Amino acid sequence: MGNQVAVLMRKAPYGSVYTAEGFRTLMGIAVFEMDIRVVCVDDGVYALVKGQNPTKLDMKPLGDGFPALAEFGVKDFYVHDQALTERGLTVDDLVVPVQAVSSAQIAQILQESGKVLPFYLPLPRLGRGGEKSCYTL
Amino acid sequence: MLYTVNKSPFSTNHLDSVLQIAPAGAPILLYEDGIYAAARGTQAATLVQSALANHPIYALQADLEARGITAVLEGIQVINYDGFVQLVEEHDVAPWL
Repeated sequence: MGNQVAVLMRKAPYGSVYTAEGFRTLMGIAVFEMDIRVVCVDDGVYALVKGQNPTKLDMKPLGDGFPALAEFGVKDFYVHDQALTERGLTVDDLVVPVQAVSSAQIAQILQESGKVLPFYLPLPRLGRGGEKSCYTL
Repeated sequence: MLYTVNKSPFSTNHLDSVLQIAPAGAPILLYEDGIYAAARGTQAATLVQSALANHPIYALQADLEARGITAVLEGIQVINYDGFVQLVEEHDVAPWL
């Protein structure tokens, strides 16, 4: 197996840390010249929507960063076609050229990649007796 | 009472839940990832449009802009932070977190 990694994005930007952390990880592992695929399903497709402007939230625009990843060799973006349709989006609404693919194709890409880095894990809350609950910001 | 929703309608049931609980006439504020429910052309649009018959629905401008959502469903009232403050002053708040 080669150095193939799928970065799996399932969360919308700004409402949680996941998109920003996924992006940071992409920057980090890109320099190791791995074969990296970015896979966006569910609300992860919102990370790539054009025209994001979080100035009023005092945050940095996350969408703008994805096109720059091409300079580091990160060019393979796959988005779930069903996730786009549910959200009334098309590939033309996104900041990078993507391949819109089916559920079966998403599964195949993850399978082929071998290593999947997910950016959506629910984290346990700290200091609450260890019960499992979703970490929200 | 003002009901506030800050999660995406596609990844949580928060909006569905609030629409089952909120009595007719109760205002609903969409903010943070909740604003995706205000977008045109999504599969949540039908739900939101029917809810507009019973509730005033507001969406926070800063969160729409941040996420690049420019086409908002007709009937949704887009408000800024001053409008947010005004709503909170006028109503008790039920945060649907």
